[in-house]
Amino acid sequence: MNEPATITRSCRGSVLDNGPVSRGLLRLDLRLEVPVNFLPGQFAMLNRSGGRAFVFGRPFSILAVDGDTVSFLYRVVGRGTAVLAELEPGDELTFLGPLGRPFPGPDVVRPALLVGGGVGLPPVAAWLARWGRDGDVACFGGRDGHDVPWDLLGSDWAVSVDETEGVPADHTAWHGLVTELAADRLAHAEGPGTVLACGPVPLLRAAADLAAREDWDCWLSLEEHMGCGYGVCKGCVVPVRDPAVSPWRNATCCSEGPVFPAADIVWEVYGAQASLAVTEPERPPKEKP
Amino acid sequence: MNLPAWWTIDPCAPFRLGPREFPGRIWTASGCFGYGLSAHDVAGADGRTPYDGLGAVVTKTVTPSPRPGNPMPRLVELPTGALNSIGLENVGIDAFLAETLPALEQGGVPTVVSLAATRPQEFGTMAAALQDAGAGCCHWHGVELNLSCPNVAEGGHDFGRDPDTVAACVAAARVHLPDRALLAKLTPNVAEIGILARAAADAGADAVSAINTVVGLEVDLATGRPVLPRRFGGYSGPGILPIALAKVDEIVSAGVPVVGVGGIADARDALRFFALGAVAVQVGTSQMRDPLAAADLAAGLVPDGQTQEPGQTQDP
Ligand SMILES: Cc1cc2nc3c(=O)[nH]c(=O)nc-3n(C[C@H](O)[C@H](O)[C@H](O)COP(=O)(O)OP(=O)(O)OC[C@H]3O[C@@H](n4cnc5c(N)ncnc54)[C@H](O)[C@@H]3O)c2cc1C
Ligand SMILES: Cc1cc2nc3c(=O)[nH]c(=O)nc-3n(C[C@H](O)[C@H](O)[C@H](O)COP(=O)(O)O)c2cc1C
Ligand code: FES
Repeated sequence: MNEPATITRSCRGSVLDNGPVSRGLLRLDLRLEVPVNFLPGQFAMLNRSGGRAFVFGRPFSILAVDGDTVSFLYRVVGRGTAVLAELEPGDELTFLGPLGRPFPGPDVVRPALLVGGGVGLPPVAAWLARWGRDGDVACFGGRDGHDVPWDLLGSDWAVSVDETEGVPADHTAWHGLVTELAADRLAHAEGPGTVLACGPVPLLRAAADLAAREDWDCWLSLEEHMGCGYGVCKGCVVPVRDPAVSPWRNATCCSEGPVFPAADIVWEVYGAQASLAVTEPERPPKEKP
Repeated sequence: MNLPAWWTIDPCAPFRLGPREFPGRIWTASGCFGYGLSAHDVAGADGRTPYDGLGAVVTKTVTPSPRPGNPMPRLVELPTGALNSIGLENVGIDAFLAETLPALEQGGVPTVVSLAATRPQEFGTMAAALQDAGAGCCHWHGVELNLSCPNVAEGGHDFGRDPDTVAACVAAARVHLPDRALLAKLTPNVAEIGILARAAADAGADAVSAINTVVGLEVDLATGRPVLPRRFGGYSGPGILPIALAKVDEIVSAGVPVVGVGGIADARDALRFFALGAVAVQVGTSQMRDPLAAADLAAGLVPDGQTQEPGQTQDP
C-alpha cells in the first residue's frame, strides 16, 4: 500500500465492450468520464443510470484500469448481472469507485501464492499483473474446461477444474479443487510467503487453513451483500477479531475490507451468515435466449 | 430541469430553524450517510463533492451504549425501494463525542446529531453530554431525536407512537439544548401523525422530521420464510414517497414545522415536499446509491439567476 490514496469517482461510464471470455464468465470494459487509479483488491459499484437504476448498485472487483477504461469480470447470478450481460457498446452505466481496502502491495513476504476461484479472479489477477515477480505462483479454479478464460489467464496461471470436460488439447488442468492445486504448489515453493485469495467461502476458508498450517501470511477478499458500497449504511458487516472488542466485532466489509487478514476472520460466524447462503449458482446460468 | 414558477427559494442559502441558522435546506437522512465522514475522498467527474450545497448531515443514530446491530442480511432490495434491518449499529455516545463530533467539526460538516434511547431520561443525559462536549462546535447545528426506529426490539416503533412519551423525550432533551435546533423524528406507522407532531412541538421541538421507514416484510419464496432474520424491516426508497407526502401534509395542517423525508430520488420529489410546506428535506436511500445525490439535488433546485458554485455554502 505504497501508493497514495486515490479519489473515489462517482461518474458515468459508457460500455466499450461486453462479452464472454469463457462459457460462464463475461468481461465488461467501461469508458469513464475521467481516468481513475486503483489498487488490486479494490472494487466499484455499478448501476444503471437515471430512472432505470436499481435501488442499490452492485459491487464488482476491478480487473484492470487503463486510463479512463475499467475492466470487470462477472458471472450472471441474478437480476443485476443479467442486465449487465445485455449491455451493448455505447450503453451507459453509473460507476462509483475505486472503493475499499486493497490487498497489501509489493512488500508482501515472497513468494506470493495467488488463488482465484471463478469470479474471484479479478483482484488476484490485478495483483499479479501489477506486482507479480518470478517465483510467485498463481492458481485459478473453474468448474470445467469451458468455464476457464484460457486466453485471459495466458501462461502465468496453473488451472484446476472440477470436471475435466472441455479442457482444450493444448492446455493442462489439475482435476480437483483449486485449493488442492494451491497446496501442491505451496509444497514446492520456497516458503513461507503470502497467500492472497478470492472466491467462494469454502475456497477462502481452505486457503486460510492452508496458509495457517504452513505458517504463511494470508489475505482474503471477502464478499457480502452491499447497499451503499462506501461505508455509510452498515449493510455489509463481517465478523472479525479485534483485541479491543470481545469476542469479535462487526467490520464494514465495503470500507474496512473487502480484503482482510485471514487470521482476523471469525469463520464460525462468517460461514453461517445467511446472506452468503448462495453466492455462486450450482450450474452455469441459462444461455441468452 | 425546469423549475416551476412558484419555486423561488435558494435551497443552498442559510435559513433559520429554532435558535439556529442552517447553511441550507437539503440534508442527508440518518443512517444513509454514516456519520458524514465517509465521503471526503469522493468526487464527481467535474470535481464536485458530496458536501457541495449540503444543508446538514443527520448522523447515524447514536445510542447510550455502542450497539453491534442485527445479523446479516440487513438489506433487501425491492423493485420500489429497500427493506433494512441494520439494528442501529453505532459507536455509542461516548466514542461519538470523543472522536466523531470533533472530526465533523474539523471537517466543517454541518451536523445534526441523531439520538435514540429507550427512556426519556436517557435522551436528557445524552443531550446534556452533547451540549457539554459540543459547546465550541460551530458546525453542529442540532439534534434529531429518533423516536421511531422499527429495528430495535426494546423501544422500537411502539415507543414513538405515544404522544406523552414523545413529549417527555423532547422535553428531557430541550432543557439541555438552549442554542441548537431540536427535531423529533416521527414514525409513519400510526393512524394520526399530526397528534405526535403537535405533542413534540408543544414540548419544545423546533420541528419534526417525517418520515422514518414504514414497517415491511419480504418473503423468500424458495424457503417460504421471511428474508430478514428478524422478520420485519424498515421500508424506504421511492415506494414510500406518497406515504411521506401524506404524513407531511398532515403535520403541516397541524401547524408544526416539518423536515420532509421519504422516497426522494431527485429534485422533483424534493419540490413536492416544499410545495406542501416542508422547511427542509432529507435524502436517505438515494444517498446510499449515490454519494452525490443530495448535492446534485441541491444544485438542481437553485432558481435561475442564483448560481451556486461548488463549495459555496461550506468547505468541508
Ligand atoms: C467486494 C465484492 C466484489 C465482487 N466482485 C465480483 C466480481 O468481480 N465479479 C462478479 O461476478 N461478482 C462479484 N461480486 C458479487 C456480485 O456483486 C454479485 O454477484 C452481484 O451483486 C449479484 O447481483 P444480481 O442482481 O445479479 O443478483 P441478485 O439477484 O441480487 O442475487 C443473486 C444471487 O447473488 C447473491 N448476491 C447478491 N449480492 C451479492 C453480493 N454483494 N455478494 C455476494 N453475493 C451476492 C445472492 O445471494 C443471490 O444468490 C462481488 C461482490 C463483492 C461484495
Ligand atoms: C440503511 C438505513 C439505515 C437507516 N438508519 C436510520 C437511523 O439510524 N436513524 C433514523 O432515524 N433513521 C434511519 N433510517 C431512516 C432514514 O433516515 C429515512 O427516514 C428513511 O429511509 C426514509 O427516507 P428515504 O426513503 O429517502 O430513504 C435508515 C434508513 C436506511 C435505508
Ligand atoms: S455497503 Fe453500506 S456500509 Fe458497506
